[in-house]
Amino acid sequence: MFSDLKRIGLETCVLIAFGALFGLTLNYQLIMDAFSGRLVPAQSQVVVESVTVALPMPVLIDEVQQLKASGGLIIDARSPDLFAMGSIAGALSLPMVDIDALLPDFLTRVAKDQIIITYCSGFGCPDSFDLGVLLIESGYQDVRVFEGGYPEWRDAGLPVAGESR
Amino acid sequence: MKRFLYHLARLILALVFVYAGAVKMQNVTAFAGHVAAYQILPYALNYLVAATLPYVEFLAGILLLLNARVRPALLVVGSMTLVFMVALVSVLLRGLEIDCGCFDPGGGQDVSAGVALLRDVGLMLLVALVWWLRTTERDAGRGTRDAIGP
Repeated sequence: MFSDLKRIGLETCVLIAFGALFGLTLNYQLIMDAFSGRLVPAQSQVVVESVTVALPMPVLIDEVQQLKASGGLIIDARSPDLFAMGSIAGALSLPMVDIDALLPDFLTRVAKDQIIITYCSGFGCPDSFDLGVLLIESGYQDVRVFEGGYPEWRDAGLPVAGESR
Repeated sequence: MKRFLYHLARLILALVFVYAGAVKMQNVTAFAGHVAAYQILPYALNYLVAATLPYVEFLAGILLLLNARVRPALLVVGSMTLVFMVALVSVLLRGLEIDCGCFDPGGGQDVSAGVALLRDVGLMLLVALVWWLRTTERDAGRGTRDAIGP
């Protein structure tokens, strides 16, 4: 009976190890990107080669803090619901879902030489990048993307605003 | 009768976990988002979980499907379900309104933590049932044609 349990336990560990190893091998790149905090979305590399328009620069969390302190405008590209639930403190909501309706007003209120940092729900979420491209196309000279987004900011314990603080 | 019950319960569990693993493997990044919504793990670890958990689920499901290494597979499935239940209870206690992320991460309607918890209780019962049938029937039928598994 005891040897039976031992064997079952051993096989369980092997099973878990196999599954985990398999997953890690297949998703190696994603893991490395997530841990290094330097994920450039796969699509954007294609865009770099095919489009000549300037692309928003990715920035890391400490640069975001510096830019914020020196007057950079942080823009939340997520939906209004998510923004209300929790956002980077001091961020302006400019949801990508309503962008056609909201952009004209934004253009009149924010100067073109204003430093802008966009973010959304973290790696794998394209809205901050798309919004960055759109703002550059609209004439903004310094637009950057914080790809870690709200999750990284919140988990780093930095100031947030919203309902679920 | 017991044999029929054993195979039925085993197949249900197998299909649930093969399916759960397979759909999450299709969209690991989106699943990482669901894991992050639980707000339990630090940021990068969510990706680690998302990159490994679906494959373990899938593998355990396949073993159950093949009726091979059934008890190790049951242990894996059972412990994962237990972890899910703990996570769901913590979600309920903190009053988070999130999708459980149990199955298709890109999928349409959300499943609340309460419903998911009930489902997990059902899964736990199935795990216990299969384990029990496997152990008793195997010993009773050892060496005869009634033996449930190899």
